[in-house]
Amino acid sequence: MADEPKGSRGSLQGIAMAVVIWAIVVLSSLYYVRYGVPELASDRGYLDSLYYVILGITGAAYILYQLALGYVIYRYRGDRPGAESSYWHESHKLELTWTIGTAAIMIPIVFTGLIYWDRVKGPAPEDAVTVMAVGAQFQWDFHYPGADGEFGRFDPTLYAIDNQIGLDETDPAAADDWVLTNQLVIPVNRPTRILMRSKDVQHAIFLPNFRVKQDLVPGMTTEVWFTPVKTGSYEVACAELCGLGHYRMRAFLEVMEEADYRQWLSDNAPAAVADAADPAPEAPSASAE
Amino acid sequence: MEHEKQGFVSKYIFSFDHKMIGKQYFTLAMSMGFIGGILAVLIRLQLGFPSQPWPFLENLFPVGMASGIMTPEFYVSLFTMHGTIMVFFLLSLLPVSGFGNFLIPLQIGARDMAFPFLNMLSFWTVVPGAIIIIISFFVEGGAAASGWTAYPPLSAIRSAIPGSDAGQTLWLVGMIFFVASFTMGGLNFVVTILNLRTKGLRMMRMPLTTWAQFVVGILGLLSFPALAAGALLLTFDRSLGTSFFLPAGIFIGDTLMPHEGGTPLLWQHLFWFLGHPEVYIIMLPAMGFTSDILATFCRRPIFGYRSMVYAIMAIGTLSFLVWGHHMFVSGMSPFLGSLFVVTTLAIAIPSAVKAFNWLFTIARARIQFTSASLFGLGVVSLFVTGGLTGIFLGTNAVDIQLHDTYFVVGHFHFIMAGAGLFGAFGAVYYWYPKMFGRMLSERLGKIHFWITFVAYYAVFFPMHYLGVSGMMRRIYDPNVYEYLQPLQPVNLFITISAFVLFAGQLIFIYNYFASMRTGAPATANPWNAAGLEWSTPPHPGHGNWEGEIPPAHRWPYDYSEPGKKRDFTPQWEA
Repeated sequence: MADEPKGSRGSLQGIAMAVVIWAIVVLSSLYYVRYGVPELASDRGYLDSLYYVILGITGAAYILYQLALGYVIYRYRGDRPGAESSYWHESHKLELTWTIGTAAIMIPIVFTGLIYWDRVKGPAPEDAVTVMAVGAQFQWDFHYPGADGEFGRFDPTLYAIDNQIGLDETDPAAADDWVLTNQLVIPVNRPTRILMRSKDVQHAIFLPNFRVKQDLVPGMTTEVWFTPVKTGSYEVACAELCGLGHYRMRAFLEVMEEADYRQWLSDNAPAAVADAADPAPEAPSASAE
Repeated sequence: MEHEKQGFVSKYIFSFDHKMIGKQYFTLAMSMGFIGGILAVLIRLQLGFPSQPWPFLENLFPVGMASGIMTPEFYVSLFTMHGTIMVFFLLSLLPVSGFGNFLIPLQIGARDMAFPFLNMLSFWTVVPGAIIIIISFFVEGGAAASGWTAYPPLSAIRSAIPGSDAGQTLWLVGMIFFVASFTMGGLNFVVTILNLRTKGLRMMRMPLTTWAQFVVGILGLLSFPALAAGALLLTFDRSLGTSFFLPAGIFIGDTLMPHEGGTPLLWQHLFWFLGHPEVYIIMLPAMGFTSDILATFCRRPIFGYRSMVYAIMAIGTLSFLVWGHHMFVSGMSPFLGSLFVVTTLAIAIPSAVKAFNWLFTIARARIQFTSASLFGLGVVSLFVTGGLTGIFLGTNAVDIQLHDTYFVVGHFHFIMAGAGLFGAFGAVYYWYPKMFGRMLSERLGKIHFWITFVAYYAVFFPMHYLGVSGMMRRIYDPNVYEYLQPLQPVNLFITISAFVLFAGQLIFIYNYFASMRTGAPATANPWNAAGLEWSTPPHPGHGNWEGEIPPAHRWPYDYSEPGKKRDFTPQWEA
């Protein structure tokens, strides 16, 4: 037998490696279950289910693989009695098994994911409450179309301290429009459609409790829709680096009972009350220069 | 083949010798990695102790930490430059440019790379790039601050963030130097491997390290030009008033920008067309090192050599078809997003082949625990952990929630940074005798491994908890959000672990430099390894072999062949 590198056969290293890997697996998994996704407040629970299915599959794979790795390191450490290594290095059967096995596990994940993706990305229902989120360094403005359900046109040359979204007041559709800064109010159990645009750089609207995230891209209107199912006040975050104040680009999302929402509307935006009573039949449109 | 006697300059500075160039890359990459590590420590300092004053730091960073408290713009510069330096100047330079240059001729039996001058030039092209990147910290406004991804308009409009002024310009110039260098290197790799293999060394007899470098060379050649094009166009947008990435109506600092007609998504496509292959440019060499190291120290042939080669090719090919998974929530067409899910999750298959082949290489082995083999085993563990979390992110429906959270940060620090770094460490411990003719201290190597392995999990695994709980990346102070406040203990734990992780690397740096003088002299083949590189003298000179180049009679993995006296049969023995 050839000379061994000095000290390389010490059983301590092999046993320690196995024990450390096992300890990491146990501790990391135990702690994982202590941290869950934020409380769900939208109808996107199916995304959570898929998350948990993938967590189950990958978690099992993680635990089994790392346990096996620790085991083979322990079992085949060089100084065990009668240690000998095998020249065996090919098995088409085994290799086919894990190739096909992996594919078999991945295919249902891919397809379920795609089906859910389609559901998320499908067109918003007709009766959705529509709002335009306007992102800017480092502020959110939520532009409501008002009773006519149509957004007044905006013009970037009109951006000003008292007209954050650059609304063109001469447009008849703008007459009943109104804007909330860093606050979005929506009714519960009715689909909400958020159109979005950015005034300056990229932002991303992130509603952690609603499983919603979408980038705001200058020059484009992006959109997302979901149905809130729980009333309450939730935090809105920016998830795309947008500058030195990115970390404090925060807003609040208030989900209200339908009746409270109407009351809130008539208190704060009388011109828009009709909207809540009679959802706009036509999909609102955004116009940009 | 005769080589002229070399003076100091031609031997140590403008050397044509692939081994010296490789070592030059090591020094550069380790210096840059050290700086990148300090940036990481500062990032964690802020996240562990948000906005706490550290008066002594004001002396070091009079602007970024005025009165000892980190400013948000300095924080953004820190993670931007941490990412840039680590991804390009450590994780690409060390395993690819460093080990690629050092090992390819030795492993394929060549006197040097095909184009030695180009090789020297490629090193001296990346040096100014690195210097420019470092200098950018000291210009007005500080270093670039748009993330390592440099998304416009933030990176394109100078008033968008202080770092987008001179700092971003220097970032772009530095990157263009880097790309030029890396492209020359990639060309050299491919040509060398295709043309200069010694007699008998068929492609299917090459070590997996060289296979990986071959595929990496191709990936670099095809992907980096996209970044070069993007960086050039972005420079035009910034300096010449063009609008490749800038639409009409951008309003920053009370000024309406004159640009019109471009789209920021174009940059994302160009960037990630490089960015994703880049991940595998970092990963594949680490996979190669791990395979070679495991075979040697398990005293066993690598399991499933052929499928390992095919897996490298498959991963390399797929890496060009998956860039859109970085853009699931970018506003890109949802249909396109679905296509990228299929290609992305297909990578799970060749990755599983890798993981199981390694497991079966270790099984039925007689493992020798050296620093190199410990790091090799570490790669296997990190690779599986990081690979599995990729399944969450590759499934676009689940990615919606996890995108741009710490889940992503944890994921790529395992798979790309972690496995890449551990692979490089293993490679240094393994090939150091060939590099300097001396052995590294195994004692220090093992201490380094244990600190690094445990601290690595302690730093990066809890990041998944943060991400699942909804903590965004790149935020200066998570406590601004009420729902993130309960996570502060996790952030503190990560920060303390990160300090330990960084301290552990000092042991490595000491070991690396001290062993050049004090290490035990190495024999020609200290590990009883079978690869062709071990047929060279203990400290090979220019030209590598003193006599004839040995032919390759077999593959490099003949360990414990039944009926043989020794437990390995070198590749160069009939």
